[in-house]
Amino acid sequence: MIHMNDVMKVYDNGAIALNHINVDIKKGEFVFLVGPSGAGKSTFIKMLFREVLPSSGILTVNGRDIIHMSNRDVPFLRRSLGVIFQDYRLLPDKTVYENIAFAMQVIEAPRRMMQRNVNNVLDIVGLRDKYKCFPNQLSGGEQQRVAIARAIVNNPAIVIADEPTGNLDPETSWGIMDIFKSINASGTTIVMATHDKTIVDAMQKRVIAIENGEIVRDEARGGYGYEH
Amino acid sequence: MNINTVEYFVREVMHSLKRNNWMSVASIGTVAVSLFIFGMFLMLVMNMNKMVDTMESQVQIKVYLEDDFSREDAKDLEKELKQMQGVEKVTFVTKEEAMEKFKERLGDQKTLLDALDETNPLPDSFEVMVLQPEMVKTAAENIEKFEGVDSAKYGQDVMEHLFDITRLIRIFGFALMMVLALATLFIISNTIRLTVFARRKEIAIMKYVGATDWFIRWPFVLEGIVMGFLGSIIASVVLRLTYSGITAKIYDTLAFFPLIPEEPFLTYVTLIVVIGGMIMGAIGSTVSIKRFLKV
Repeated sequence: MIHMNDVMKVYDNGAIALNHINVDIKKGEFVFLVGPSGAGKSTFIKMLFREVLPSSGILTVNGRDIIHMSNRDVPFLRRSLGVIFQDYRLLPDKTVYENIAFAMQVIEAPRRMMQRNVNNVLDIVGLRDKYKCFPNQLSGGEQQRVAIARAIVNNPAIVIADEPTGNLDPETSWGIMDIFKSINASGTTIVMATHDKTIVDAMQKRVIAIENGEIVRDEARGGYGYEH
Repeated sequence: MNINTVEYFVREVMHSLKRNNWMSVASIGTVAVSLFIFGMFLMLVMNMNKMVDTMESQVQIKVYLEDDFSREDAKDLEKELKQMQGVEKVTFVTKEEAMEKFKERLGDQKTLLDALDETNPLPDSFEVMVLQPEMVKTAAENIEKFEGVDSAKYGQDVMEHLFDITRLIRIFGFALMMVLALATLFIISNTIRLTVFARRKEIAIMKYVGATDWFIRWPFVLEGIVMGFLGSIIASVVLRLTYSGITAKIYDTLAFFPLIPEEPFLTYVTLIVVIGGMIMGAIGSTVSIKRFLKV
């Protein structure tokens, strides 16, 4: 699903964000990306949906060559991915239903499919009865669930989450993780950058730790490994 | 592009125009004003062209013959004139015909000629038409060299001044129309830039979920086109009223003045202004959204 071979990222100001990264992530895996702030987790995540372009190396996502991809193909790469952010990034003037349907609208999905898929993901995240609400009428956890619903409504092969529980209290975070678990159980690969030690320790999934732009640990069933 | 998407685009444009209510009204108004000035100059320049054309087509050289030049020699001269380069038509006017014309022109006052007592002071002459007005001067000079030609006259001073003035107005008018087109472009692009800026988060989300650049661009481009269209419609209506008013005024006072008749002229002007407004709206918005697509 994701293959990195000697990937480097050097920003224009000369800062080395990622150095000699070698990673293979297979279909259906659940991977935590951990490490201190500024270690390169965000750069790692952003490269996957080509918001950041690697400086050198080989990077393929879902069989697509990220580095040699033309700009015109980027939308089609992103359609095979679901992206979730710490700050939800919902449209405040659209309802829950519209926010999710929006993701299908912009890829010009047929309307019949739209209704079915949106209702389906609303069930998965447990917000069926709030479909008419606007984001500001929802709690943080609920907003993040809408964002997850939007990310998975087009049946992506990989879900990429950057600190999805970063703004949420522990209890709400667990609700979110349960959703991720069930998405993962249906065969979707999940890559999640996080600072949440409790979650990582409890889930016992693969952990990739990045420090100073390098992978310092890659364990199949690891824990968070840092003390706060 | 499916019907669902088209519907989405239309909804987006309406929504956006409504949301930026005053901004949209102000832009459409400004676009209308600059397209109106643009249209006025367009009509002025076109009328100037028409006037020059009319005058140019009337340019002819009057070739007066010497008194003792015989009619047989005149026939030979006619042949020679016809063979000259750039000469389109040569008409022989006898002195009797010239007198008739003169009398006609005098109308009621032709009794003045009674003083002449059947003598005719007018010479035989040729009316020579040339192909291009620029040739008039040289042609006249050459004709004067022929034997039997007393003089070759045309409206020297008037023609040369006219050429200077029209050239100036054409250049100035063209430059001004360019400036106004750019101004319109700028106004539309600026308004769209504000809309785009207000919706940059939405655009970023669209990019994350895999919308193509054109899908994102279309509603904004359409919005620009709609603004250009509305502005140009207002401008066209005012232009039509203004032109009708001016023609009516001028026909009252200067009936011979060769203005272009309202139709189909105004239809052409309207088409140019409307299509121009829409094109500039499209270009303006395409330019302003470019920067926001880099996510």
